[in-house]
Amino acid sequence: MDYIYSILTLTGITMIGVMGTYMVTGLTGQFSFGQAAFMAVGGYVSAMLMLRFNLSFPLVALIGSAAAVLTGLLVGLPTVRLRRDYISLVTFGFGEAIISVLNNSAQLTGGAEGLVGIPRRVDLPLVTVSVIACLFLVASYKNSKFGRQCLALRTDELAARSMGIDVNRMKLVTFLFASAITGYAGVLYAFYSQYLEPGYYNWTVSAEWLIIVFVGGINSLTGAMVSAVILTSLPELLRFASAWRILIYCVIVLIIINYRPNGIFGDWEISRLWKKRTPAKGDAA
Amino acid sequence: MLQNLFFGLSLGAVYSLIAVGFALVFNILKFSNFSHGGVMSFTAYAGYLAYLKLFDGRVSGAAMFVAVVLVSAVVGAITAVGIERVGFRRLRSNQAPVIYYFISSITLGILLENIITIFASSNFYSYPVFFPAANIEIFGTSFSVADFVTLLFSVVALAVLLFVLYRTKLGLAVRTVSFDVHTASLMGIDADRVVMATFAMSGALGGISGVFLGMNYSLYPQLGQLVVKGFIASVIGGLGNITGAVIGAFLLGIVEVGLIGLVGSGLMPACVFVIMLVFLLVRPQGIAGKIVQEKA
Repeated sequence: MDYIYSILTLTGITMIGVMGTYMVTGLTGQFSFGQAAFMAVGGYVSAMLMLRFNLSFPLVALIGSAAAVLTGLLVGLPTVRLRRDYISLVTFGFGEAIISVLNNSAQLTGGAEGLVGIPRRVDLPLVTVSVIACLFLVASYKNSKFGRQCLALRTDELAARSMGIDVNRMKLVTFLFASAITGYAGVLYAFYSQYLEPGYYNWTVSAEWLIIVFVGGINSLTGAMVSAVILTSLPELLRFASAWRILIYCVIVLIIINYRPNGIFGDWEISRLWKKRTPAKGDAA
Repeated sequence: MLQNLFFGLSLGAVYSLIAVGFALVFNILKFSNFSHGGVMSFTAYAGYLAYLKLFDGRVSGAAMFVAVVLVSAVVGAITAVGIERVGFRRLRSNQAPVIYYFISSITLGILLENIITIFASSNFYSYPVFFPAANIEIFGTSFSVADFVTLLFSVVALAVLLFVLYRTKLGLAVRTVSFDVHTASLMGIDADRVVMATFAMSGALGGISGVFLGMNYSLYPQLGQLVVKGFIASVIGGLGNITGAVIGAFLLGIVEVGLIGLVGSGLMPACVFVIMLVFLLVRPQGIAGKIVQEKA
């Protein structure tokens, strides 16, 4: 029972991380290879505050997410006005930089041996509530004016600009929002696993999230969430060796990208089940 | 001092191989090829395997080194062509948006890395010492032979590449396709073949840099993540610009060696990252100066 309980909790945390990736990739069409590094920032900042100053959990969670937003600003500000490639390259470098800082400030962060002794403040109910809350935030963002502007600029940046959309600002705002959510996922992970190590946050984690988003379909939040649940919990339950698991993911993605480029879910959203089927509103697609 | 500068140059030479291999594909398909790192680790292992199974005990020293480098370059070229075939050919014929190229290249990079992890496990291997005499004396300063050979080989490889690009018919075709694919095909250039040739060149460079990285560090599946150095060099030099990439890479190598002396090798990546950010703020188009515009 404990085992299933922990799988569910970790799946929930992954879902929140994937939401961040979904926002950056699915909404604005940018690729972040440093998403896991924002998770590291959120986790380490909150855990260190808790250990040093003994602040309360809600407060450190808030500060952890805020720290992730600040670092997001550092990365996002120079890159949003450039071609999309830059944000991928810069976030990639950012991930490496964060890991090197964590590894080399041993007296603060425990270095490569990891940060131990974090009290457990996160359990399954809290994660469930967090997933629902974040899901609500992201879904409303997607259906708001901002979300539609993002989709417009993802499809064609030049056209979006000429319609009066402030492309750079939208990209930055979405990126920061995603950083906050990912930072929060990092806080949850830190206070659930009670142990942090820099090696957990390398770029393959970020890439795995991207793959998850892609399998579900970059136009569908529902798809991203379903594939997050399936791709994280199923292999755990079946106890696949991790390298083989990723190998299989990769093959799936290659097949999807070549033969069904919109992902399994296309642009279908679960909210369509209880919405009136009027195409006039333009739904979320 | 002179010794450090030389070490920086040799490091920069390896980075420039990575950066140019990356820039070649960027030039022609207009996306960042993240599978390049995977090609690098793959060929580094292939070179090691070739040493173990083919050359060990038959040849030695410099001859061995040349043989291993050649094998890796060929394996790299074949791998990259295979990647193009599996990952990008269909996308190109579907005229898929750039995002799909991205995802495809990331996936292939991870795939290669994991194939290595599965078959070679995560153990560390190390390349044999090709050059027994560790140092040579020039003008009273001693230089490491390995660094010297790295620098020499990289410069030769780059020179060959530039010759192909600017003095041969194939190079002309590559430059034409990178300028405009559709017009090039209208002019009777077989775009598929040119793209394949570009990937082969990029893969061969990736193979050579893989061996050098394997010699400098030890051999592990995540070796290809050093491709980030190539990215940084391209950003500093200007994305997609080959001359810029070379200049950026040499600068990066020298700056890194300087930083290791100043802040230590641990914090060096963070400092390099900050330098890159500053560079993006001040001169986003890179040293070479031509900013790549997204075509409408």
